[in-house]
Amino acid sequence: MALLEVKGVQVKFNGFLALRGLDLKIEAGELRCLIGPNGAGKTTALDVICGKARPSVGEIVFDGHKTSRLDEHRIARLGVGRKFQVPSVFRELTVRENLDVAQSKTAGVFRNLGPRKRHDPALQRLAEFVGLADERDEPAGNLSHGQTQWLEIAMLMAQDSRLILLDEPTAGMTAAETRKTAELCRRLKGQHSLIVVEHDMGFIREIGDVISVMHQGRLLAQGTVAEIEVDPLVKEAYLGSGGISHA
Amino acid sequence: MRQLLLSRAWIAGYALLAIAILAVPVAIDDPYLLNKFARYLIFATLAVALSLSWGYTGILNLGQAVSFGLGSYCMAMALKLKTMPIQTGTGGLPDFMVWNNVPSLPWFWQPFHSIGVAIAAGIAVPVGLALILGWFIFRARVAGVYVSIITLALLVIINLLIIDQQRFTGGFNGLTDLSDLQVMGIDFDPYSAATYYLAAGALILSLIVGLAIINSKTGLIMQAIRDDETRVRYFGYDVAAYQIFALSVSAGISGVAGMLYAVVMAFASPTFLSVQLSLSIVIWCAVGGRASLIGAAIGALLVTGIQGSLSETPIFLNTWLLIMGALFVAVVLLLPKGLISLVQSAITLFSRPVADRTATPVNKTMVG
Amino acid sequence: MVEAFNQILNGLSIASILLLVSLGLAIIYGSMGVINLAHGDFLMLGAYAVWFLQSTFGIGLLPCLGLVFVIVGLVGWAIERTLIRHLYGRPLDTLLATWGIGIILQQAIRLSAGAELRYVKMPDYLINPINLFGTDISAYRLMIFGVTLALLVATYLLIFRSNFGMRLRAVTQNAEISRCFGINVSQVYALTFAYGAGLAGLAGALVSPLKSVSPDMGTGYVVDAFLVVVMGGVQSLFGTVASAGMLGQLSTWFAFVSNDTLARALVFSLVLVMIRFRPQGLFVTQVRRG
Repeated sequence: MALLEVKGVQVKFNGFLALRGLDLKIEAGELRCLIGPNGAGKTTALDVICGKARPSVGEIVFDGHKTSRLDEHRIARLGVGRKFQVPSVFRELTVRENLDVAQSKTAGVFRNLGPRKRHDPALQRLAEFVGLADERDEPAGNLSHGQTQWLEIAMLMAQDSRLILLDEPTAGMTAAETRKTAELCRRLKGQHSLIVVEHDMGFIREIGDVISVMHQGRLLAQGTVAEIEVDPLVKEAYLGSGGISHA
Repeated sequence: MRQLLLSRAWIAGYALLAIAILAVPVAIDDPYLLNKFARYLIFATLAVALSLSWGYTGILNLGQAVSFGLGSYCMAMALKLKTMPIQTGTGGLPDFMVWNNVPSLPWFWQPFHSIGVAIAAGIAVPVGLALILGWFIFRARVAGVYVSIITLALLVIINLLIIDQQRFTGGFNGLTDLSDLQVMGIDFDPYSAATYYLAAGALILSLIVGLAIINSKTGLIMQAIRDDETRVRYFGYDVAAYQIFALSVSAGISGVAGMLYAVVMAFASPTFLSVQLSLSIVIWCAVGGRASLIGAAIGALLVTGIQGSLSETPIFLNTWLLIMGALFVAVVLLLPKGLISLVQSAITLFSRPVADRTATPVNKTMVG
Repeated sequence: MVEAFNQILNGLSIASILLLVSLGLAIIYGSMGVINLAHGDFLMLGAYAVWFLQSTFGIGLLPCLGLVFVIVGLVGWAIERTLIRHLYGRPLDTLLATWGIGIILQQAIRLSAGAELRYVKMPDYLINPINLFGTDISAYRLMIFGVTLALLVATYLLIFRSNFGMRLRAVTQNAEISRCFGINVSQVYALTFAYGAGLAGLAGALVSPLKSVSPDMGTGYVVDAFLVVVMGGVQSLFGTVASAGMLGQLSTWFAFVSNDTLARALVFSLVLVMIRFRPQGLFVTQVRRG
């Protein structure tokens, strides 16, 4: 059985249908790229999987649990982690504290009342991995945009979710940083499942196995990069924006 | 290094404050002054409680005085029932009930014959109310200013109810002519050093409890919620549970402060649940620094101390509120993190190497 | 039957006062995102302005209204220019600052006009009740109802039909972009705040003969006004009207079986329960959560 199944999901905002019958299946350990023109419903697809948006029709099954009626924190606890398009970290907390919050294996109020560990080697390694070891006592609000992106990625790794949803992880990154992110995505897959929403085709070629193309709230096509690039339906959907490679 | 220096400075600060508080009765033996200082300590305890919910969790509770007032009434009810000469009527009815033609002691007064029950209730009633209120508003994900408005409305309404139900609460006058609190053979005369130490103990205990919480992971998550509660949710934490916890702990501490206040003042009245007291608590926290327990405590001691000495001069008695209001507006505008932030930046300044890295501030983060 | 009709009329009368009191608050919060805790104190200023004009110059209540609107509006304008404008985008800080301002206003009045209760005379020609469909109704309350209706229409026209309203709505949607299109955002904010304050002043003037006038009279009103706005949902003029109507009726019926204070507590509990299930307010449709 697939780790995640999205079955005929519809999402409505004020009468506007952002998703109109989306079907998606993600296997354990798979890395799936989600692309599509603006307004195709990619972000909404991630929203509905992590509970930020609610389906009006259809259902979502994660690891055997129906999640469409669960609170966001319950879905997260089942093993769904999310990185938002706009980097969101806790600005008044230090880098180290941000990572500590992200490490959420125990989530209860009373079970977390004991004295906090001041030094956690696992978190220290994570900080080093994303190049923030020197900034670990710095409030996250003082980090640069790129550093904030990396902090959030490190937080996702600390959270250690089985399914990781990444919304445009390379937005605003330099070429070198983008490569590092691609490398990281490749490392994560296998042990984690990933859904990555991206516009950067270069990045997608580097990481992608299977690509799902969305258009107008539905799945339009699915296949490898090579297959997708010659698909006439996809070409048509992207017409106007000059073809998929320039999206 | 800087981190270490900071934490050392804080430990020293807390220790100094504790020693200073405990040393007061040694230096002063004017009972009137001791009573006054005990009151300041109780206010500082209240400020510590608000700092936990507002400063650390982002819940600006404008109805902090509800917990305080309910605590004070719980204690006052028990002390009222102990006031032998004042009681009249059948079965020792409190004086105001006799005046209001209440035939017998109402059922909810009965348990207050026991001081133990009263003390338990002084904590349990505010905490219970916080649990109920928290369940309603935090489960509904009401946040920010709405929480403040709702807590303020709750305060006004409970205040009106207490005044309205004169038969059971003493109305405007409240519960007066209370006997001294007597526990384990100690008589807590409002003007005694024993009562002062009780207040000092409550403040120190609330600081210890507060420090334990903010240094736990729970405390860390509370602060993360203050920064961005939506994001916390996607890490798998039940945000509402943490908010309810913070509000309840804060209510419990305020309840204790309220009980002690009834002992120190020897009465309880609707003014203990007034909007003005609630506002004062917010001002103490804001002036001292809401996101620092010691800052909030010192803010309360400073402001009430100044108020206490100014109110001896008649000119200031009238202008005090004017000064308070202006001071408050100034702090909100110019020093949002309070006086303690001056100390913090001073320590940071002295421990930071001159050629330090320049940090680029990022735009405010938002979710989705 | 007559009893019930009487209750409904009473409810309408309370509803019109609630709407009158909350209209300015709703506009300031809905369009500027400013929680104005000094709203009740603006109201109090309006009441004192009437008392002052009446006791010093012998001007009647109704002729005072225009002047009161201008006076309190100017006070609001001055406060916005000096303090509030530094706090946009920080709703909690506006709440704190306006609370402080409210205390200052209260104390200033206490020091200048005295702490004792003051009374404003009702116009003679409105004292006698009017018989309406077999029940007596206070002519004064009927007048309040009419004025509230007029103010509501005026506010609607101002927001949805005037040039200023168009600019205001643009600023509410997006202040940055409005600025790029040459709208003087800061002026729009200042005028809106002044208008909201002026409305509060009018409300204070109109309620002043019903109860006594005192420096801390605003506190109760501001809480009522907030309940109305919370219940109705922000940014919805219709919501404010509907919720004032509902709370007015509820208060009357609750008060009929208990007393005013208990009625208020009941209404508050009801609003709390409502919030649990419809946090966005009763009369607002669901928008994208985020």
